Amino acid sequence: MAEGLDFERLVACYYEPLYQFAFSLARDESDACDLTQQTFCIWAAKGHQLRDASKVKTWLFTTLHREFLGARRRQTRFPHIELEFAAAELPVVSPPTVNRLDAGQALEALARLDEIYQAPVALFYLQDCSYNEIAEILDVPLGTVKSRLTRGLGRLHQLLTGTTTQPQPPDL
Amino acid sequence: MNRDEAKTILLLYRPGTADADDPQIAGALALAKQDPDLTRWLAEHCARQEALRAGFRQITVPAGLKEQIISEQAAQEKVIFWRQRAVLAAAAVVAALTLVVLAPLWFPHRGNEDTFAIYRSRMVRVALQGYSMDLATNNPAQVRAYLAQNHAPADYVLPAPLKKTAVTGCAIEGWQGAKVSMICFRTGKPLPPGQQSDLWLFVIDRSTVKNAPPTGSLQFVQVNKLMTVTWTQGDKLYVLGMEGDEQTLRQYL
Repeated sequence: MAEGLDFERLVACYYEPLYQFAFSLARDESDACDLTQQTFCIWAAKGHQLRDASKVKTWLFTTLHREFLGARRRQTRFPHIELEFAAAELPVVSPPTVNRLDAGQALEALARLDEIYQAPVALFYLQDCSYNEIAEILDVPLGTVKSRLTRGLGRLHQLLTGTTTQPQPPDL
Repeated sequence: MNRDEAKTILLLYRPGTADADDPQIAGALALAKQDPDLTRWLAEHCARQEALRAGFRQITVPAGLKEQIISEQAAQEKVIFWRQRAVLAAAAVVAALTLVVLAPLWFPHRGNEDTFAIYRSRMVRVALQGYSMDLATNNPAQVRAYLAQNHAPADYVLPAPLKKTAVTGCAIEGWQGAKVSMICFRTGKPLPPGQQSDLWLFVIDRSTVKNAPPTGSLQFVQVNKLMTVTWTQGDKLYVLGMEGDEQTLRQYL
Protein backbone atom coordinates (compact mmCIF):
# COMPACT_ATOMS: atom_id res chain seq x y z
CA MET A 1 0.00 0.00 0.00
CA ALA A 2 2.80 2.37 0.91
CA GLU A 3 4.38 1.97 -2.50
CA GLY A 4 1.52 3.94 -3.98
CA LEU A 5 2.64 7.05 -2.13
CA ASP A 6 4.10 9.69 -4.37
CA PHE A 7 7.64 10.51 -3.33
CA GLU A 8 7.33 14.24 -3.89
CA ARG A 9 4.09 14.42 -1.98
CA LEU A 10 5.64 12.48 0.86
CA VAL A 11 8.61 14.84 0.99
CA ALA A 12 6.30 17.85 0.94
CA CYS A 13 4.32 16.43 3.86
CA TYR A 14 7.16 15.38 6.12
CA TYR A 15 10.40 17.13 5.31
CA GLU A 16 9.75 20.03 7.70
CA PRO A 17 8.87 18.01 10.81
CA LEU A 18 11.60 15.52 10.05
CA TYR A 19 14.16 18.28 9.72
CA GLN A 20 12.99 19.88 12.97
CA PHE A 21 13.29 16.57 14.75
CA ALA A 22 16.69 15.98 13.20
CA PHE A 23 17.85 19.45 14.21
CA SER A 24 16.61 19.00 17.75
CA LEU A 25 18.73 15.85 17.96
CA ALA A 26 21.83 16.89 16.05
CA ARG A 27 21.70 20.66 16.67
CA ASP A 28 23.56 21.23 13.46
CA GLU A 29 21.92 22.40 10.27
CA SER A 30 24.12 20.38 7.97
CA ASP A 31 23.72 17.19 9.98
CA ALA A 32 19.98 17.73 10.20
CA CYS A 33 19.75 18.17 6.43
CA ASP A 34 21.78 15.02 5.91
CA LEU A 35 19.62 13.05 8.31
CA THR A 36 16.44 14.26 6.62
CA GLN A 37 17.75 13.48 3.17
CA GLN A 38 19.06 10.12 4.24
CA THR A 39 15.68 9.25 5.70
CA PHE A 40 13.96 9.90 2.38
CA CYS A 41 16.69 7.97 0.54
CA ILE A 42 15.99 4.99 2.74
CA TRP A 43 12.30 5.44 2.11
CA ALA A 44 12.91 5.43 -1.64
CA ALA A 45 14.82 2.18 -1.32
CA LYS A 46 12.79 0.35 1.31
CA GLY A 47 9.52 2.22 1.73
CA HIS A 48 7.72 -0.22 -0.54
CA GLN A 49 8.16 -2.84 2.17
CA LEU A 50 5.83 -0.92 4.46
CA ARG A 51 2.42 -2.56 4.20
CA ASP A 52 0.41 -0.11 6.26
CA ALA A 53 0.34 3.34 4.68
CA SER A 54 -0.93 4.84 7.94
CA LYS A 55 2.44 4.04 9.50
CA VAL A 56 4.42 6.22 7.13
CA LYS A 57 4.95 9.02 9.62
CA THR A 58 6.11 6.66 12.34
CA TRP A 59 8.32 4.82 9.86
CA LEU A 60 10.02 8.04 8.77
CA PHE A 61 10.67 9.28 12.29
CA THR A 62 11.88 5.86 13.41
CA THR A 63 14.25 5.71 10.48
CA LEU A 64 15.58 9.18 11.13
CA HIS A 65 16.12 8.42 14.79
CA ARG A 66 17.96 5.20 13.96
CA GLU A 67 20.09 7.02 11.45
CA PHE A 68 20.91 9.62 14.07
CA LEU A 69 21.90 6.97 16.59
CA GLY A 70 23.96 5.18 13.97
CA ALA A 71 25.72 8.36 12.95
CA ARG A 72 26.38 9.25 16.55
CA ARG A 73 27.89 5.85 17.19
CA ARG A 74 30.22 6.40 14.27
CA GLN A 75 31.23 9.78 15.53
CA THR A 76 32.46 10.64 18.97
CA ARG A 77 31.78 14.30 18.87
CA PHE A 78 28.78 14.25 21.14
CA PRO A 79 30.22 14.16 24.62
CA HIS A 80 27.83 12.97 27.23
CA ILE A 81 27.34 15.65 29.86
CA GLU A 82 25.32 14.80 32.90
CA LEU A 83 22.63 17.27 33.64
CA GLU A 84 23.69 17.58 37.23
CA PHE A 85 27.09 18.92 36.14
CA ALA A 86 25.73 21.18 33.45
CA ALA A 87 22.77 22.58 35.28
CA ALA A 88 24.89 24.98 37.25
CA GLU A 89 26.10 26.59 34.05
CA LEU A 90 22.64 27.24 32.68
CA PRO A 91 21.08 30.65 32.84
CA VAL A 92 17.79 30.53 34.65
CA VAL A 93 14.91 31.95 32.72
CA SER A 94 12.37 33.76 34.80
CA PRO A 95 8.77 32.51 34.60
CA PRO A 96 7.49 35.43 32.50
CA THR A 97 10.37 34.87 30.05
CA VAL A 98 9.78 31.16 29.77
CA ASN A 99 6.51 31.92 28.10
CA ARG A 100 8.36 33.68 25.27
CA LEU A 101 10.96 31.10 24.36
CA ASP A 102 12.55 31.08 20.97
CA ALA A 103 13.88 28.02 19.16
CA GLY A 104 17.45 28.65 20.28
CA GLN A 105 16.52 28.73 23.95
CA ALA A 106 14.28 25.70 23.64
CA LEU A 107 16.98 23.72 21.87
CA GLU A 108 19.66 24.82 24.27
CA ALA A 109 17.57 23.59 27.15
CA LEU A 110 16.86 20.37 25.29
CA ALA A 111 20.54 19.87 24.71
CA ARG A 112 21.15 20.02 28.43
CA LEU A 113 18.87 17.09 29.07
CA ASP A 114 20.23 13.62 29.44
CA GLU A 115 20.39 12.05 26.00
CA ILE A 116 17.70 9.46 26.66
CA TYR A 117 15.18 12.27 27.29
CA GLN A 118 16.00 14.39 24.28
CA ALA A 119 14.29 12.40 21.53
CA PRO A 120 11.02 11.80 23.40
CA VAL A 121 10.83 15.44 24.51
CA ALA A 122 11.54 16.66 20.98
CA LEU A 123 8.84 14.43 19.55
CA PHE A 124 6.52 15.51 22.34
CA TYR A 125 6.80 19.19 21.54
CA LEU A 126 7.62 19.21 17.85
CA GLN A 127 5.21 16.74 16.40
CA ASP A 128 2.45 16.37 18.92
CA CYS A 129 3.14 12.67 18.65
CA SER A 130 0.98 10.50 20.84
CA TYR A 131 2.72 8.51 23.54
CA ASN A 132 2.15 5.35 21.50
CA GLU A 133 3.72 6.92 18.44
CA ILE A 134 6.73 8.06 20.44
CA ALA A 135 7.09 4.56 21.87
CA GLU A 136 6.92 3.10 18.38
CA ILE A 137 9.38 5.58 16.92
CA LEU A 138 11.91 5.11 19.69
CA ASP A 139 11.20 1.40 19.95
CA VAL A 140 10.69 1.46 23.70
CA PRO A 141 7.71 0.42 25.82
CA LEU A 142 4.91 2.91 26.39
CA GLY A 143 5.57 3.02 30.13
CA THR A 144 9.20 3.89 29.51
CA VAL A 145 8.16 6.70 27.19
CA LYS A 146 5.86 8.19 29.82
CA SER A 147 8.51 7.85 32.46
CA ARG A 148 11.17 9.47 30.31
CA LEU A 149 8.82 12.24 29.29
CA THR A 150 7.90 12.94 32.86
CA ARG A 151 11.52 13.16 33.93
CA GLY A 152 12.64 14.96 30.80
CA LEU A 153 9.89 17.55 30.96
CA GLY A 154 10.41 18.02 34.67
CA ARG A 155 14.08 18.71 34.14
CA LEU A 156 13.39 20.92 31.17
CA HIS A 157 11.08 23.07 33.24
CA GLN A 158 13.58 23.03 36.05
CA LEU A 159 16.29 24.23 33.72
CA LEU A 160 14.16 27.00 32.34
CA THR A 161 12.65 28.26 35.56
CA GLY A 162 15.14 27.20 38.18
CA THR A 163 12.43 25.47 40.14
CA THR A 164 11.62 21.87 40.63
CA THR A 165 8.33 21.29 38.98
CA GLN A 166 7.57 17.82 40.12
CA PRO A 167 8.95 14.87 42.00
CA GLN A 168 10.73 12.57 39.56
CA PRO A 169 9.37 9.10 39.06
CA PRO A 170 11.93 6.36 38.57
CA ASP A 171 12.84 5.51 34.98
CA LEU A 172 11.14 2.31 33.85
CA MET B 1 -4.76 11.02 43.53
CA ASN B 2 -3.28 13.94 45.45
CA ARG B 3 -2.13 17.28 44.10
CA ASP B 4 1.53 16.28 43.56
CA GLU B 5 0.52 13.13 41.76
CA ALA B 6 -1.83 15.16 39.58
CA LYS B 7 0.96 17.58 38.73
CA THR B 8 3.26 14.72 37.77
CA ILE B 9 0.62 13.31 35.50
CA LEU B 10 -0.26 16.70 34.03
CA LEU B 11 3.35 17.31 33.06
CA LEU B 12 2.55 15.14 30.06
CA TYR B 13 -0.56 17.09 29.20
CA ARG B 14 -0.52 19.16 26.04
CA PRO B 15 -3.54 21.37 25.58
CA GLY B 16 -5.28 20.97 22.26
CA THR B 17 -4.13 17.40 21.70
CA ALA B 18 -5.62 13.99 22.34
CA ASP B 19 -3.71 13.77 25.62
CA ALA B 20 -6.90 14.58 27.53
CA ASP B 21 -8.28 11.22 26.34
CA ASP B 22 -5.73 9.42 28.50
CA PRO B 23 -7.63 8.18 31.59
CA GLN B 24 -4.90 9.28 34.01
CA ILE B 25 -4.68 12.74 32.51
CA ALA B 26 -8.45 13.02 32.37
CA GLY B 27 -8.55 12.19 36.08
CA ALA B 28 -5.87 14.76 36.88
CA LEU B 29 -7.68 17.39 34.83
CA ALA B 30 -10.90 16.65 36.71
CA LEU B 31 -9.04 17.10 39.98
CA ALA B 32 -7.55 20.39 38.74
CA LYS B 33 -11.02 21.75 38.15
CA GLN B 34 -11.84 21.25 41.82
CA ASP B 35 -8.56 22.53 43.24
CA PRO B 36 -7.89 26.27 42.81
CA ASP B 37 -4.13 25.90 43.42
CA LEU B 38 -3.93 23.10 40.92
CA THR B 39 -6.04 25.10 38.50
CA ARG B 40 -3.58 27.98 38.71
CA TRP B 41 -0.61 25.65 38.35
CA LEU B 42 -2.23 23.99 35.36
CA ALA B 43 -2.77 27.36 33.67
CA GLU B 44 0.88 28.24 34.13
CA HIS B 45 1.93 24.81 32.98
CA CYS B 46 -0.19 25.03 29.86
CA ALA B 47 1.33 28.43 29.08
CA ARG B 48 4.81 26.96 29.45
CA GLN B 49 3.89 23.98 27.31
CA GLU B 50 2.58 26.28 24.60
CA ALA B 51 5.69 28.40 24.80
CA LEU B 52 7.93 25.36 24.52
CA ARG B 53 5.95 23.98 21.62
CA ALA B 54 6.11 27.32 19.90
CA GLY B 55 9.80 27.58 20.63
CA PHE B 56 10.61 24.20 19.18
CA ARG B 57 8.47 24.86 16.16
CA GLN B 58 10.41 27.98 15.39
CA ILE B 59 13.19 25.77 14.10
CA THR B 60 13.41 27.00 10.57
CA VAL B 61 13.98 24.62 7.73
CA PRO B 62 16.75 25.66 5.32
CA ALA B 63 15.40 27.05 2.09
CA GLY B 64 15.52 24.61 -0.78
CA LEU B 65 15.77 21.48 1.36
CA LYS B 66 12.66 19.97 -0.16
CA GLU B 67 13.84 20.66 -3.70
CA GLN B 68 17.26 19.30 -2.86
CA ILE B 69 15.81 16.07 -1.51
CA ILE B 70 13.60 15.61 -4.55
CA SER B 71 16.26 16.50 -7.10
CA GLU B 72 18.90 14.32 -5.49
CA GLN B 73 16.49 11.43 -5.36
CA ALA B 74 15.70 11.93 -9.03
CA ALA B 75 19.42 11.98 -9.81
CA GLN B 76 19.90 8.86 -7.72
CA GLU B 77 17.09 7.11 -9.58
CA LYS B 78 18.74 8.03 -12.87
CA VAL B 79 22.01 6.57 -11.68
CA ILE B 80 20.24 3.43 -10.51
CA PHE B 81 18.35 3.25 -13.81
CA TRP B 82 21.51 3.47 -15.88
CA ARG B 83 23.37 1.18 -13.54
CA GLN B 84 20.61 -1.38 -13.90
CA ARG B 85 20.68 -0.93 -17.67
CA ALA B 86 24.44 -1.38 -17.65
CA VAL B 87 24.16 -4.48 -15.51
CA LEU B 88 21.43 -5.85 -17.76
CA ALA B 89 23.47 -5.08 -20.86
CA ALA B 90 26.53 -6.72 -19.36
CA ALA B 91 24.46 -9.73 -18.35
CA ALA B 92 23.04 -9.94 -21.87
CA VAL B 93 26.52 -9.82 -23.38
CA VAL B 94 27.76 -12.49 -20.98
CA ALA B 95 24.72 -14.64 -21.73
CA ALA B 96 25.19 -14.20 -25.48
CA LEU B 97 28.87 -15.06 -25.26
CA THR B 98 28.11 -18.06 -23.09
CA LEU B 99 25.53 -19.19 -25.59
CA VAL B 100 27.96 -18.79 -28.46
CA VAL B 101 30.66 -20.70 -26.62
CA LEU B 102 28.49 -23.44 -25.20
CA ALA B 103 25.89 -23.84 -27.92
CA PRO B 104 28.04 -26.28 -29.89
CA LEU B 105 28.31 -28.40 -26.76
CA TRP B 106 24.64 -28.24 -25.95
CA PHE B 107 23.46 -28.62 -29.53
CA PRO B 108 26.29 -30.50 -31.26
CA HIS B 109 25.35 -29.88 -34.92
CA ARG B 110 22.07 -31.60 -34.49
CA GLY B 111 20.78 -29.84 -37.54
CA ASN B 112 23.35 -31.46 -39.82
CA GLU B 113 24.34 -34.48 -37.80
CA ASP B 114 22.08 -36.86 -39.64
CA THR B 115 22.96 -35.80 -43.15
CA PHE B 116 24.24 -38.26 -45.69
CA ALA B 117 27.74 -36.72 -46.04
CA ILE B 118 28.40 -37.12 -42.34
CA TYR B 119 27.04 -40.63 -42.37
CA ARG B 120 29.35 -41.57 -45.23
CA SER B 121 32.40 -40.01 -43.55
CA ARG B 122 31.62 -41.79 -40.33
CA MET B 123 31.36 -45.15 -42.05
CA VAL B 124 34.62 -44.58 -43.92
CA ARG B 125 36.28 -43.79 -40.62
CA VAL B 126 34.93 -47.03 -39.17
CA ALA B 127 36.42 -48.96 -42.07
CA LEU B 128 39.78 -47.23 -41.89
CA GLN B 129 40.32 -46.71 -38.21
CA GLY B 130 39.59 -50.16 -37.04
CA TYR B 131 36.63 -52.28 -36.24
CA SER B 132 36.12 -55.75 -34.94
CA MET B 133 33.90 -58.05 -36.88
CA ASP B 134 30.96 -59.36 -34.92
CA LEU B 135 30.93 -62.40 -37.13
CA ALA B 136 33.86 -63.68 -39.13
CA THR B 137 32.70 -66.05 -41.85
CA ASN B 138 32.99 -66.66 -45.55
CA ASN B 139 29.37 -67.68 -45.74
CA PRO B 140 27.12 -64.90 -47.04
CA ALA B 141 24.03 -66.66 -45.72
CA GLN B 142 25.45 -66.70 -42.19
CA VAL B 143 26.18 -63.02 -42.48
CA ARG B 144 22.62 -62.25 -43.51
CA ALA B 145 21.24 -64.51 -40.81
CA TYR B 146 23.38 -62.90 -38.13
CA LEU B 147 22.32 -59.43 -39.17
CA ALA B 148 18.67 -60.40 -39.27
CA GLN B 149 18.95 -62.01 -35.89
CA ASN B 150 20.34 -58.79 -34.47
CA HIS B 151 17.75 -56.58 -36.14
CA ALA B 152 20.22 -54.92 -38.46
CA PRO B 153 19.37 -54.46 -42.16
CA ALA B 154 19.58 -57.94 -43.63
CA ASP B 155 17.34 -57.83 -46.67
CA TYR B 156 19.89 -55.95 -48.71
CA VAL B 157 20.36 -56.56 -52.43
CA LEU B 158 23.89 -57.01 -53.66
CA PRO B 159 25.01 -56.15 -57.19
CA ALA B 160 25.96 -59.25 -59.12
CA PRO B 161 29.75 -58.61 -59.05
CA LEU B 162 29.64 -58.08 -55.33
CA LYS B 163 27.79 -61.34 -54.82
CA LYS B 164 30.79 -63.08 -56.33
CA THR B 165 33.25 -61.33 -54.07
CA ALA B 166 34.43 -63.23 -51.05
CA VAL B 167 32.76 -62.29 -47.78
CA THR B 168 34.93 -62.16 -44.68
CA GLY B 169 32.32 -61.31 -42.09
CA CYS B 170 30.16 -58.55 -40.73
CA ALA B 171 29.69 -56.04 -37.96
CA ILE B 172 26.82 -53.94 -36.75
CA GLU B 173 27.42 -50.23 -36.37
CA GLY B 174 25.14 -47.49 -35.18
CA TRP B 175 23.97 -44.23 -36.67
CA GLN B 176 21.51 -41.87 -35.04
CA GLY B 177 19.96 -44.72 -33.14
CA ALA B 178 19.59 -46.92 -36.22
CA LYS B 179 21.59 -50.04 -36.96
CA VAL B 180 24.00 -50.17 -39.86
CA SER B 181 24.99 -53.48 -41.39
CA MET B 182 28.66 -53.56 -42.28
CA ILE B 183 29.51 -56.39 -44.63
CA CYS B 184 33.20 -57.02 -45.21
CA PHE B 185 34.70 -58.43 -48.41
CA ARG B 186 38.07 -59.36 -49.68
CA THR B 187 38.89 -58.51 -53.29
CA GLY B 188 41.84 -60.86 -53.48
CA LYS B 189 44.53 -58.23 -53.60
CA PRO B 190 47.41 -58.63 -51.16
CA LEU B 191 46.56 -57.17 -47.77
CA PRO B 192 48.78 -55.82 -45.04
CA PRO B 193 49.36 -58.23 -42.14
CA GLY B 194 46.35 -58.41 -39.84
CA GLN B 195 43.92 -56.90 -42.35
CA GLN B 196 41.20 -59.29 -43.45
CA SER B 197 39.10 -57.10 -45.69
CA ASP B 198 39.58 -54.42 -48.31
CA LEU B 199 36.04 -53.77 -49.47
CA TRP B 200 33.20 -52.72 -47.26
CA LEU B 201 29.50 -52.32 -47.76
CA PHE B 202 27.35 -50.33 -45.36
CA VAL B 203 23.59 -50.74 -45.46
CA ILE B 204 21.09 -48.63 -43.56
CA ASP B 205 17.43 -47.74 -43.77
CA ARG B 206 17.25 -44.87 -46.22
CA SER B 207 14.80 -42.90 -44.07
CA THR B 208 17.42 -42.56 -41.36
CA VAL B 209 19.76 -40.45 -43.47
CA LYS B 210 18.91 -37.01 -44.77
CA ASN B 211 19.97 -35.89 -48.25
CA ALA B 212 20.65 -39.42 -49.44
CA PRO B 213 21.16 -39.72 -53.21
CA PRO B 214 17.97 -40.42 -55.13
CA THR B 215 17.12 -43.85 -56.42
CA GLY B 216 18.81 -44.79 -59.68
CA SER B 217 21.91 -42.66 -59.30
CA LEU B 218 25.44 -43.66 -58.37
CA GLN B 219 27.46 -41.15 -56.44
CA PHE B 220 31.22 -41.64 -56.49
CA VAL B 221 33.13 -39.63 -53.91
CA GLN B 222 36.63 -39.97 -52.54
CA VAL B 223 36.44 -39.84 -48.75
CA ASN B 224 39.74 -39.95 -46.99
CA LYS B 225 41.65 -42.96 -48.41
CA LEU B 226 38.57 -44.69 -49.73
CA MET B 227 36.74 -44.28 -52.96
CA THR B 228 33.07 -44.61 -52.18
CA VAL B 229 30.01 -45.15 -54.24
CA THR B 230 26.53 -44.60 -52.91
CA TRP B 231 23.19 -45.66 -54.25
CA THR B 232 19.68 -46.13 -53.04
CA GLN B 233 17.61 -49.18 -53.74
CA GLY B 234 14.24 -49.86 -52.23
CA ASP B 235 14.22 -48.59 -48.68
CA LYS B 236 17.95 -49.11 -48.24
CA LEU B 237 20.91 -46.84 -48.66
CA TYR B 238 24.16 -48.51 -49.72
CA VAL B 239 27.68 -47.17 -49.34
CA LEU B 240 30.48 -49.26 -50.82
CA GLY B 241 34.07 -48.27 -50.26
CA MET B 242 37.58 -49.45 -51.01
CA GLU B 243 41.01 -48.08 -51.60
CA GLY B 244 41.35 -47.36 -55.28
CA ASP B 245 39.77 -45.28 -57.98
CA GLU B 246 36.27 -45.09 -59.38
CA GLN B 247 37.10 -47.45 -62.17
CA THR B 248 38.17 -50.13 -59.75
CA LEU B 249 35.14 -49.68 -57.64
CA ARG B 250 32.81 -49.91 -60.60
CA GLN B 251 33.96 -53.51 -61.06
CA TYR B 252 31.86 -54.44 -58.06
CA LEU B 253 28.65 -52.85 -59.18
